[in-house]
Amino acid sequence: MKTLVTLPLVVPLAAAALSLLMRRFLVAQRVLGITAATASLGIALALVVRVDGTGPAVAALGGWHPPLGIALVADRFAALMLVVAAAALLGVLVYAVGQGRVDTAMPGFHPVYQVLAAGVALGLLTGDLFTLFVAFEVMLIASYVLITARAGAAHVRATLTYVVVGLTASALFLATVALIYAAAGTVNLADLAGRLDGVSPTIRAALGWLLFMVFGIKAAIFPLFFWLPDSYPTAPSPVTAIFAGLLTKVGVYAMIRTQTLLFPSDEPSQVMLALAGLTMVVGVLGAIAQSDIRRILSFHIVSQIGYMVMGLGFFTVAGLAAAIVFLVHQIVVKTVLFLVGGLVEDTAGTGNLAKVGGVLHRHPLVALLYLPAALSLAGLPPFSGFVGKLALVQAGFAASQAPVVAVSLAASILTLFSMAKIWAGAFWGQPTGEDCRRPGAVGLAATGALVVASLAIAVVAQPLLGLATRAGADLLAADVYRAVVLGG
Amino acid sequence: MAIFPSTHATLGAPATAGRRALHLRAGRAVTLGLLLAAPFATAMVLLAVPGRARKTAAALALLPLVGFTAWAVASAGPLLSGGEITLALPWIPDLGVALDLRLDALGLLLALVATGIGSLVVVYSAAYLPAGIHLPRFMAYLVAFAGGMVGVAAADNLFGLFVFWEITTVASYLLIGFSDDKGSARAAALQAVLTTSAGGLAMLAGCVLLSRQAGTATLSAILAAPPSGAATTAALALILLGAFTKSAQVPFHGWLPAAMAAPTPASAYLHSATMVKAGVFLLARLHPGFGSDPIWAPVITTVGLATMVLGAWRALRQTDLKLLLAFGTVSQLGFMTALLGLGLVHAALAVLVGHALYKSALFLVVGTIDRTAGTRDLRVLSGLGRRLPGLLAVAAVAAASKAGLPPLLGWAAKEAAFAEILTVAAWPVVILTVAASALTAAYALRFVWGAFATKAMAPDARPLGAGVLPPAPGLWAPAALLAAASVVLGIAPGWVDRLVQAAAGVPGKLVLWPGWQPALAASGAAVALGAIIHLGRTRAAHLQAAGERLFRSLRFPTADGTYRRSLEGLNRLADATTGTLQHGSLPVYLGVILLATLGLPAAWWLAGGAGMPAPPLAHRPAEVALGLLAAAAAFGAARARHRLTAALFLGAAGYAVGGIFVLYGAPDLALTQLLVETLTVAMFAFVVARLPRRHEEARLPWWRALRVGVALAVGAVVTWAALAVGGGGGGEASAAYLEKAVPEAGGRNVVNVILTDFRALDTLGEITVLVVAAMGVAGLIAGARVASGREEDPR
Repeated sequence: MKTLVTLPLVVPLAAAALSLLMRRFLVAQRVLGITAATASLGIALALVVRVDGTGPAVAALGGWHPPLGIALVADRFAALMLVVAAAALLGVLVYAVGQGRVDTAMPGFHPVYQVLAAGVALGLLTGDLFTLFVAFEVMLIASYVLITARAGAAHVRATLTYVVVGLTASALFLATVALIYAAAGTVNLADLAGRLDGVSPTIRAALGWLLFMVFGIKAAIFPLFFWLPDSYPTAPSPVTAIFAGLLTKVGVYAMIRTQTLLFPSDEPSQVMLALAGLTMVVGVLGAIAQSDIRRILSFHIVSQIGYMVMGLGFFTVAGLAAAIVFLVHQIVVKTVLFLVGGLVEDTAGTGNLAKVGGVLHRHPLVALLYLPAALSLAGLPPFSGFVGKLALVQAGFAASQAPVVAVSLAASILTLFSMAKIWAGAFWGQPTGEDCRRPGAVGLAATGALVVASLAIAVVAQPLLGLATRAGADLLAADVYRAVVLGG
Repeated sequence: MAIFPSTHATLGAPATAGRRALHLRAGRAVTLGLLLAAPFATAMVLLAVPGRARKTAAALALLPLVGFTAWAVASAGPLLSGGEITLALPWIPDLGVALDLRLDALGLLLALVATGIGSLVVVYSAAYLPAGIHLPRFMAYLVAFAGGMVGVAAADNLFGLFVFWEITTVASYLLIGFSDDKGSARAAALQAVLTTSAGGLAMLAGCVLLSRQAGTATLSAILAAPPSGAATTAALALILLGAFTKSAQVPFHGWLPAAMAAPTPASAYLHSATMVKAGVFLLARLHPGFGSDPIWAPVITTVGLATMVLGAWRALRQTDLKLLLAFGTVSQLGFMTALLGLGLVHAALAVLVGHALYKSALFLVVGTIDRTAGTRDLRVLSGLGRRLPGLLAVAAVAAASKAGLPPLLGWAAKEAAFAEILTVAAWPVVILTVAASALTAAYALRFVWGAFATKAMAPDARPLGAGVLPPAPGLWAPAALLAAASVVLGIAPGWVDRLVQAAAGVPGKLVLWPGWQPALAASGAAVALGAIIHLGRTRAAHLQAAGERLFRSLRFPTADGTYRRSLEGLNRLADATTGTLQHGSLPVYLGVILLATLGLPAAWWLAGGAGMPAPPLAHRPAEVALGLLAAAAAFGAARARHRLTAALFLGAAGYAVGGIFVLYGAPDLALTQLLVETLTVAMFAFVVARLPRRHEEARLPWWRALRVGVALAVGAVVTWAALAVGGGGGGEASAAYLEKAVPEAGGRNVVNVILTDFRALDTLGEITVLVVAAMGVAGLIAGARVASGREEDPR
């Protein structure tokens, strides 16, 4: 069991090292990368089954018992996120290999991609606040390298925003970790959960806020999101897809983890709900103002983050369960949408809605992949987004928070508006421009597999919601987490 | 999160009180489930059918629709006597969501209309749509829509109903925009989907509220024991929004005339016969439970009457035959809604069936006219009746049913409605209804006259000569069948009467001849008035034009104008918000991030400043000196004009921090710090040689002042936080490390042991960071070389 907890970290890290050694053999790198990603998915699945059956699994690394050493902790939330992350990572990797552009243009793509996977796994599994910082550093450095994969001065300049904001967030994060250590004398999350009670309420609230905002920068909530729509659209499409699908969501994960464990609350947080509402609305308004597929989708990343923060802000089991279901749905659907955007760009040569058109008539399969994902994003039934939205709405009414529920519904009609804008602009109309190339079969298959995954989320909504509800209950039972990590 | 723990338990229970709960054999239930799944499966298959396989597509599409119709007619008997076919299809019990089916007479009525008319529309579409159109795709949308309608009809769970409801919305969107090379079609599709899904979202919120009130989302259970109170009324109001938008009620009706951009068969099917009836159906469904709610009668009746009058008024003004019919549909939907508001479910459903039959026939006739004559503008059409007498006959019968003439179904339905209205409603309602009926008769006449009469030629009229060929059977037979049904069911309304009575759950009377009664006078007056309006049409048109000028001068908001303005306003708001917030300037982003992150702690600090703990700022004089040195160096770095100078100042600040490490007994940390600072400055010196010597200067003084202010504020808050949290907590862990370093980890330097043993994972992570950073830098340099090589070598 302990080995199983460390494998999600070890497999991609080992693959990264091997891949680095094989940097002259692209085919071998590709085979290794896909093998490792597939293995990671299998491991994550095994882990979620085990954890759901027998409770959280803890691995004290180096045999140093926490809080002295670092512990990896796989509870239901972490294990479930690992599964979805692994699926997205595998899907995008297959797509990238099928597209065959990013890894030929950039020799270090495969090792760095595996490092990104390792960083995500470490962020999800770590039971230590400082190691969480390290995990974010690993993810960030990998993402810096991937986002600058397109050579050229103009592009590097565009990614400067991403790098500088990332470094600022790291500095704030590090300062916050230091403050927390100074206040409580430990950085182990389980240990902190007990000790922060002894800190004065003002200090505690300030620390909670700082940590919320630090992860808020990573997750791109209002008013910390500006960097995202400026930088994400500039990367190659598979890179943007995995960033969009995963990176902000790891920020949300860390936010949910730390807020529920370290700064629990008995009542809804009005500040969080206000920020959640603003994030939804400002994000979706940004999307409406755009006319390029990637830029539209990038603003939707922001908007949809608001829904997850809303679920957290209720501070109820139902709210957390809804947020978790929404997270799972978003990782898959947002990845799909960016991949479809990439397919449109591949076939039409551009993602500018003024220039592209008629993809439905030339490549109906691409349209068929877009439609369920777009409807799902807008929260229409019977797709996965509907399940997440309905769970959130019910949790909201149960927590007597009708205003933010109303805002979330209004934002979802605006989401539908901008999804329809992409559909009408890119898929309907006269086919324009010369048809650059047919979409690759591998890319279509990879995207299709993720579409099937998103449909499957809706089909298995009940078991998924059950798991998410158990995970949400775990999150609100900090004592149990403490006992498992420190006492086991 | 089992909000609805009892959902399962209520599924199999006998439902509505007063209705004979006759549960039919399980085999029928499974068949119902399969028949409901069939359209969706067929749609999937149709999406894979190539565009040229038109006959295959039509045959495939016909299969599930005809199949359902046949099965429904065959199973009707028990349903008409109060039986139900139920099938439990659980989906998300924790959220109360299920696709449970419960087909009763009311559901049967809607499902039969949907699949019966759907079958004819499929046949018609195959003949109507030209060869360039992707027929299998059209059929796929159509069949998926039919599945959605059957689902709406049979759903027994609020959320299940919503699922099917939204499926019809999406299918409608795809069909309205089907001629997607036209901008107008795309815009109309958007208007329809935005209006109906906005209502749909309100309805979803209403469903959640209602299910919370009732403790279950199962419709039959809710209707058996309806909750009441303010929250229930709020839920009902939200659900009504969904019904009103779907059924194109004032003020949400604007999307329906715009939706005429759809291919005519789709208009006939979705936007007159079926989808727009979903809202009316929902009202009929909810009436047994919520008909006595305080808002039911006033709100629904008012909205319905307003829609009825406005639609009829506008219909009479149209010159496009299709738009004439569209506004007629709006009017009739208003009529049905008003009847439901008055609680006259039987009459409303009778009108629904009558309308579905004659209006779809008329739409199909317009499509055929459009196909054969190339226009549907009644100012241009002339003499068509002589060329196509058969089509004229079909249209005349359907229009007569619409005007409410005997012996047609429209007549029987309207007589029943008038009779029931006269028994319950106040005089203003009666007068409005008669007036709208008169207008209906007038525009029915206008339709037949406009399409088929031989008129005095307008200057730009197109004389229809020998070019008009008799349409293919597929283009007239479906309309003829529908018209024939209006006749047959009008002469012998017994079967429809049974269906409508069973569906309404109340006795009513649908007969060919009701006998001499007051209603007869009302409907006779309406028809006579309609004929007069048509005969005096020139004068009526002038009168209407004057009336509309008056409305315009009052700046009365129109539905279309409101929609357009909202859309423009939304786009402007989006542009303004995004233009302001998405500034593009990195310093602005950083400033906002820092201020937002530290603003709240600063506020707490200022609010509770008095009680702040004040630990000693320094323990010995050297610390003060080093602190001042670090501060001075930071200040110098900020002031420096040259990059290298700034780097040197930063290095000095780092040295000062290293000095503090020395004071606290961490010589190796201090050494590391000094090395890092030295290396950084050295590397910076190399890099700086390739950069411009001066930074970009902030030119505006206030901008510079602002940046200084933000920097100082951030520094102050972090300093306060560091002082406030104190430093006492670290002892325990340090003690544990010191205690275990030698005996257990075998190292005398505790810092090294922490890095390589206690917390080795962090170090592994940081090493990984370094490797990846090196790879990134290598990649950038290689990229820069490639780029600069390209620039230097023009070939």
